[in-house]
Amino acid sequence: MLEQIARVLCWLCVGEIAARSGLLPIPAPVTGLILLYADLAVRGKLPDELGVLADRLLQLLGMLFVPAGVGVIAHLHVLKAEALPILAAIVGGTAITLFVTMVVANLLVVAIAKRRERAPGKLEGAVSDVNS
Amino acid sequence: MSTLNQLTSLTWSSFADKPVLETGATVFAFLAATRIARLGRNHPLLNPTLLAIILISLGLEATRIPYETYLHGADVIHFMLGPAVVLLAVPLFRQRAVIRASARLIAVGLAVGLPVGILSAVGIAWALGATSQTILSLAPKSVTAGIAVGISEQIGGLQTLTIVLVIMTGITGAVLGPIIARLARIEDPRIVGLAMGIASHGIGTARALQISETAGAFSGLAMGLNGVLTAILLPLICGVLGFAR
Repeated sequence: MLEQIARVLCWLCVGEIAARSGLLPIPAPVTGLILLYADLAVRGKLPDELGVLADRLLQLLGMLFVPAGVGVIAHLHVLKAEALPILAAIVGGTAITLFVTMVVANLLVVAIAKRRERAPGKLEGAVSDVNS
Repeated sequence: MSTLNQLTSLTWSSFADKPVLETGATVFAFLAATRIARLGRNHPLLNPTLLAIILISLGLEATRIPYETYLHGADVIHFMLGPAVVLLAVPLFRQRAVIRASARLIAVGLAVGLPVGILSAVGIAWALGATSQTILSLAPKSVTAGIAVGISEQIGGLQTLTIVLVIMTGITGAVLGPIIARLARIEDPRIVGLAMGIASHGIGTARALQISETAGAFSGLAMGLNGVLTAILLPLICGVLGFAR
């Protein structure tokens, strides 16, 4: 387990160094995430203890935002003063995003299905490719 | 009476240097929030994180403890956010077969949903006269909070405001997702999950999991990829739009 904790902190540290040195304009934990994924991809399998560590910590993810989130009381005036643009942007933006993403993704699925209908031989090849 | 006073002053001063009180209060508030959410059958509006934030805020207000003191004490919990975000690589890695099998669908969903998510929110807020600080805090609203905080800091938004906006977005997406799927007549759980993960991160994913396991898997996957890609792309988009710090 200690080895896996060290692995996570090591990639986080690399991310932190990359961010602080101005090398990468990416938040340190995201660089760490990418590096950990690359690490796993190279090994080809997930160490059991790393899986356990991730499941345990990610179960508590919602709690980890609480301390920083409480800081919003210092900015309540922003929320109040700009309530309309904020609410409109969140509700409108989320509705637009959901709708457009679903419709475009559906167009793709329909287009693929139609092409497969026309060339059924290809379909089986594609499916077995996917499953292999 | 004086012993009682002595006891309270002793208690407070000895707690002040140690994070036990703040950490304990945070864990306790989140536990209580989780119970409340469960009583309400985990309805998206009863988001445990938001409930816990409200509970702690009320507590700080009542005890007149300044936020900085609290954050200093609860730093242990705050610190764990970094390693937790790194560990998001694990569920993504577990889903690698799904990524490979539906690569085109996922790529198209992200290519559309990621920019639309940012531009629609930023555009609406800008058109309605929000300040640039608020707009920058809003820009990463669709990204899972752990990553959104980092992006917000990077582009010059307010981290604490971003967290609350991210949670509000998650709740909105969790409520609207199934409704919009019905309106758009989309039944494919992969598509519904994909859109909900891109638009409303973890809170949307929790709701997608209630629809079906496939919807949940696609949602979680979309959340992770959307977070990573937004972290890379948003600073660039902000630069193009002239919001560079």
